[in-house]
Amino acid sequence: MNPYILATLLFGLGLGTTITFASSHWLLAWMGLEINTLAILPLMARHHHPRAVEATTKYFLTQATAAATILFASTTNAWLTGQWDILQMAHPIPTNMVLLSLALKIGLAPMHSWLPEVLQGLDLTTGLILSTWQKLAPFALLLQIQPNTSILIFLGLTSTLVGGWGGLNQTQLRKILAYSSIAHLGWMLLILQFAPSLTLLALLMYIIMTSSLFLIFKLNQATNINTLATSWAKSPMLASIAPLLLLSLGGLPPLSGFMPKWLILQELTKQDLPLAATFAALTALLSLYFYLRLSYTMALTLSPNSPTGTTPWRLPHLQTTMPMTIFTALSLFMLPLTPATIVLLTF
Amino acid sequence: MTPVHFTFSSTFILGLTGLAFHRTHLLSALLCLEGMMLSLFVALSLWSLQFNVTNFSAAPMLLLAFSACEAGAGLALLVATARTHGTDHLQSLSLLQC
Repeated sequence: MNPYILATLLFGLGLGTTITFASSHWLLAWMGLEINTLAILPLMARHHHPRAVEATTKYFLTQATAAATILFASTTNAWLTGQWDILQMAHPIPTNMVLLSLALKIGLAPMHSWLPEVLQGLDLTTGLILSTWQKLAPFALLLQIQPNTSILIFLGLTSTLVGGWGGLNQTQLRKILAYSSIAHLGWMLLILQFAPSLTLLALLMYIIMTSSLFLIFKLNQATNINTLATSWAKSPMLASIAPLLLLSLGGLPPLSGFMPKWLILQELTKQDLPLAATFAALTALLSLYFYLRLSYTMALTLSPNSPTGTTPWRLPHLQTTMPMTIFTALSLFMLPLTPATIVLLTF
Repeated sequence: MTPVHFTFSSTFILGLTGLAFHRTHLLSALLCLEGMMLSLFVALSLWSLQFNVTNFSAAPMLLLAFSACEAGAGLALLVATARTHGTDHLQSLSLLQC
């Protein structure tokens, strides 16, 4: 792709999210979301391949529907109350409608089925942008409308369940990453009405962990589980670190993925919702199963390889490894920083 | 709920229902999206008339500009799908399901 066009598109991505962050008027927020969608479409369809085009079409249809419904809900709010302000969504019907359309936009459970298919059709860099940067603007809106309904609990619990269950039978890494995204977003929605700062913390940790995983998969050029089995031959050190990263994504204690799950479960118990907390913790086990399967193929199996297949470590990598290093270090060792992180986020 | 409010709401919901349930051609999905955006255009223009907010009169044009961009992107995708899949049936967009 022409570097000028690429720079324009990346600028558009940044501009859209920034506009949505900075706006207090619904129309401006909607414009930011639209700019975001329109800027990522050419990036997704960059390779003229049937899978990429199909993924772009599906992404376009869902995002356009969600954005139109957001604007319809805010227009209804303006007709009912005369207000366009995001922070003053008083009427319950538009608030719930905005909540549902934002859920469609980020791919929460009853409206999730586009996300695995779209992510499967993209290359890993665009998939990384889609599953990290594109979530920020909808989450900024979700945190601002402050919904206070039981729909949130429903969305959260179904998302964690579907995210765990759907990933069980997958062999494609990008689909597994999509289901892991659904499950993590479910955890964020579960806590949204009780402690919005914990939602922010969970989003931050999810972005860090999933970026490092995407970058490692990109370095290994791995798109399904089979290719993971020879990743030890490409970079042995990464093959020993990546299982820890997967376990961190699953939320096991000494790693930093445990921090958001721990705090969310504690807050849910404090809010007298032990049943929801138990259900979420049990569905996290389903996710843990496929993370464990990935780490098993990556670190614990030695498949029979031909001599030519075991020597790619001699070839130098062309990708810059600094972002991957930073994200990996953050997603492994941040658990001792929990008190400082909470203090930073609650102010 | 005023009659105007009812009218544009039902137009929008009609478009949304068509988009959600009438899944044969990509072109008809794009037409439904365009209908939804036009009902929103009517809603925004009538809102500024109803509440006498002249500051807001530029907003419908901005909405129309964005929806035109969106429709353009949709038509480009229609051409791209027709070239890669040979048809614009939504049923044929099934490469990624597995």
